[in-house]
Amino acid sequence: MSDQTKSWLETRLPLASSMQSCIWNMKMAVEKPYLAALGSLITATLIFLTLSGFVLSLFYVAAPGAAFDSIQFISRNVDNGWLVRSFHATGATMLFAATYLVVFRTLLTGGYRAPNELTWILKLVFLGLVLIIGYFGYAMADGAVSYWSLHETTVAGARLTSFPGAISNWVFGGPAGPGTLGRVAVLHSALALLGFGVLALHLAAKRAVAPVPTKTVTLHPYYTSHHFVAFAVFALIFAVLVFFAPHWGENQLNLAAANPLVVPAVLTPPWYLLPVSAFAAASSSPLGSIFLVLAGFAVLFAAPWLDQSKGTKPGLFYKILVAVLALDVFGLCMAQADGPSMLSSILSTIFIGWYFLHFLVLSPLATAMESKK
Amino acid sequence: MKFGISAAALLAASLAFSNAAKAEDTLSPLHWQSQGNFGSYDKAALQRGFLVYQTVCASCHSANALHYRDLTALGFSPDQVAAIASNVKLADGSQASMDDNFKNPFPDSQVAAKAFGGAIPPDLSTLVAAHPRGTQYIYSLLTGYQAAPSDVNVMANHYYNVAYPGNQIAMPAPLKDDMVTYADGTKATTAQEASDVAAFLTWASHPNLDARKQIGLRAVIFLIFLSVLAIANKRKIWSGVV
Amino acid sequence: MANTATHTASDEVEAPAKRDFLKILTVSAGAVALGATAWPLIDAMNPTVSELAVAKPIVNVGGIAPNTALRIMWLGQPIYIRKLTPQQIADNQFIVPDTLPDPASYTDRVKPGYETFVVVVGLNTGISCELLGNSPSDARGPFDGWSCPCDGSIYDPLGRVRSGPARKNLAIPRFTFLNDTQIQFG
Ligand code: HEC
Repeated sequence: MSDQTKSWLETRLPLASSMQSCIWNMKMAVEKPYLAALGSLITATLIFLTLSGFVLSLFYVAAPGAAFDSIQFISRNVDNGWLVRSFHATGATMLFAATYLVVFRTLLTGGYRAPNELTWILKLVFLGLVLIIGYFGYAMADGAVSYWSLHETTVAGARLTSFPGAISNWVFGGPAGPGTLGRVAVLHSALALLGFGVLALHLAAKRAVAPVPTKTVTLHPYYTSHHFVAFAVFALIFAVLVFFAPHWGENQLNLAAANPLVVPAVLTPPWYLLPVSAFAAASSSPLGSIFLVLAGFAVLFAAPWLDQSKGTKPGLFYKILVAVLALDVFGLCMAQADGPSMLSSILSTIFIGWYFLHFLVLSPLATAMESKK
Repeated sequence: MKFGISAAALLAASLAFSNAAKAEDTLSPLHWQSQGNFGSYDKAALQRGFLVYQTVCASCHSANALHYRDLTALGFSPDQVAAIASNVKLADGSQASMDDNFKNPFPDSQVAAKAFGGAIPPDLSTLVAAHPRGTQYIYSLLTGYQAAPSDVNVMANHYYNVAYPGNQIAMPAPLKDDMVTYADGTKATTAQEASDVAAFLTWASHPNLDARKQIGLRAVIFLIFLSVLAIANKRKIWSGVV
Repeated sequence: MANTATHTASDEVEAPAKRDFLKILTVSAGAVALGATAWPLIDAMNPTVSELAVAKPIVNVGGIAPNTALRIMWLGQPIYIRKLTPQQIADNQFIVPDTLPDPASYTDRVKPGYETFVVVVGLNTGISCELLGNSPSDARGPFDGWSCPCDGSIYDPLGRVRSGPARKNLAIPRFTFLNDTQIQFG
C-alpha cells in the first residue's frame, strides 16, 4: 500500500491507529509466567479446530456407517486429508490439555477467589462446553466403540422421564437412529462457535477484575515475543503428537467400523472424556449418573464460596491438597480406562469420594486454617 | 524455559523409542521395517503381501476402504495395477477398473455369516490399526494354527488357534507352504507369507505412514529451530526489563 | 488520535542492527510455520481422485467394432460411442447441412483426427426416451442410425435428426480423445 492510500484509508477507517492504541500499546504487568499464555493458546487452538473442522465437514457424511466410511475416505483419498484429520483429532487433545491445565492452575493458585468468581465460572462453562463438543466429535467418528456409546447414551436418555428425557430427545432425536448423527454434527460445530463467545466473555471479565500492576510493559513487543515462545513450544508438542502419535489417547478399537451386531466389552472414550465417564459410570442408573456428573461440576462451581480464605495467598498445605486432587482425578481416569471390574469400581468409589471430600471438607478446612495464621 | 525443557524431554523420549536401524522385514527376529519412529515400508514385502492377500484372503475378506489405484503406492506401475484390476471379476461379471474399491467377496454380511456358520470375515482395511498388537497379531494369528490339546473340545466349524482370543476361530488355516509363487524368488513358506501379508495389511491400515514420518521429522526439526529462535528473540527484547 | 508509543523499557539502547535481524528471522520462521500449517487445509479442498474418477471418467474405445456402439452411463445419462463404417461416412459426409431439420455438417459431429467415432447422449430430443440402434440388429431406421421406440423419431449415424417429432440433433457430451483408444469425459 502506498502512503497515500494508507492515509486515505486511515482517515476513514482508523484501523492501524486504534490497533496501535488499543492492542499493541496495551499495558501489561511484567513477570507473567509462560503459562499465562494458555488463554491465547486455547483461543488459537479453537480457531484451528474450527478451520480444520470446516475442511472435514466438506467430506463428512452424517449417517451411521456412512460416517465411518467418509472418514476413511478423508484419510485415504482427500489430498492431505489424513493430515487434516490428524490436526483435528490432535487439536482436540491439545485443547483439552490446555483447558484442564488452566482449571488445575486456577485451583492451585487460588485464582477462583473473589473477585475472580465470574472468570472461574466462565472457565468452567468453557470446560463443560468443550466436553460436550468433544463427546459429539467422538460420537461422529462412528467407530466400533463410539457407535455403541452413542447408542447407549441415547437409549438411556430417551427412557428418562420429564425434563432430562426431553432434553435428550431434543438433542439426539430419540434413541440413536438414522438422523442422530446429523443433529450431533450440527451441534458439534454450533457449540464450537458458542465457545468463542464464552472465551470473549471470559477475557472481558478477566480485564475487569485484573489488579492494577505496579510495573508495566506494552503488549508489543514484550508480550508478543513472550507468547510467541509459548506458541512455538505448543506447536512443537502438537507436531510430535500429530506425526508420531496421531491416535494418542484415543481408544484404538474405535478405528474399526462399528458392527451393529457386536457390542464391545469396554466402551472406553478418548482420554479427555474419561473423568466425566468415570463419574457417570459410578452409578448404575442413568439419573444417578447425571446427578453425579452434575454434582462433580457443582462443587467446582461452588469453590469460590466453599473457600474460607480471607484474601490470603494459598499456603503449602492447600497446594499439596490440590496436587493430591489432580492425582486423584488421574487415578480415577486410569481406573476407568480398563473398563468395569471389581477393583476398578472400588477404586472409582474411593477416588470420587475423595474428590467430593476435597471440595466440601478438606479445602474449606485448609483455607480456614491458613487464613488464621 | 520450563516449557522448553519439558518439550525437549518429550521429544527425546519419543525419539528414544524409535528404531533407527532401517532393516528389511525379517522373520528372525520378527521385525517389520515400518515399525519405530523412523521406519518406512519395505515395498518388496508389501508387493509379496498383496499377492498373498489377493490369492488367498480376498476370497473371504473385503477391504472396502481400498481402491485398486491405491496399489501404485506399493511400487507397482500403473500398467501393472490396471492388469491386477482387470483380472478381478465384479459381481455383475464386468472387469474391475483402477477406480473400483477392492471387491467384496460376499454381497452382504448375512451371506458371509451363512457361509461360516454365523462368523463373519471382518473387513481388513483397518484391522491392523484397530488391534492393540496390530501387525504382530496378524502374523501370530496366521501362524498360530495347531492341533487342539486333547482336553479342548473344538466347536463345529472352528479351528484351534493359539493366538486367537478363546483359541477357537471360524477361519480355517488360510496359509500353507507354497500357496503363492513370489516373483522375486523369495521362498514362500507359511511364515514368510504370514509376515508379508501382515506387512501388506499394515499398509492397508496406515497408507500414509511413510509421508507422515517424513513430514513429521522435518516439522519437528523446524519447530525446535523456531522455538530456539523465539526464546532468543524474547530474551533480547526483555533484556532491558528487570 | 493519541498515538504516542509508551516505551517503558529501554529498547532504544539496544544495537538495532542485530536485534532487527533476529526479529526478522523469528517473524519469517513463524510465517513459514503458519503457511505450512495452512497449506494442507487449503489443499484438502481440491477435488479428490475418487470424485474426479466419477466426474471425468476415462473410457476405452479401442475395442468397439465398426458399425456398433458402446453404451456407458455418465452422470446418470446413457452415452453412446459409435464407430462408423466407411459406407456410413460416405453416405453422410456430403449432405448439405441446410437440407436437414437441425443443420450440422459431418465435421461438426466428430472430433478432428478421430472422424470415425460419434459420441452422443443416447436420449431422443423429442420425448425423452433411450434410442435403439447400437447393435446392427436393432431397429435403426432408414438412415442406419438410431430410432426412438417412443415417438418414432429417426437419426442418422452422426446423431442428426432426420425426421421428427424430434427437431434437434442428439446432444454431444463434453469429452476429449486422450489417444487413439481412450476418451476422457468431462
Ligand atoms: C475361507 C475363508 C477365509 C480366508 C481364505 C481367510 N479368512 Fe480370515 N477369517 C475368516 C472368517 C470366517 C473369520 C471370522 C472368524 C471368527 O469370527 O471366528 C476370519 C477372521 C479373520 C481375522 C480376525 C481375527 C480376529 O481377531 O477377529 C483376521 C485378522 C483374518 N481373518 C485375516 C485373514 C488373512 C490375513 C487371510 C489371508 C491370508 C485370511 N484371513 C483368509 C475367513 C477367511
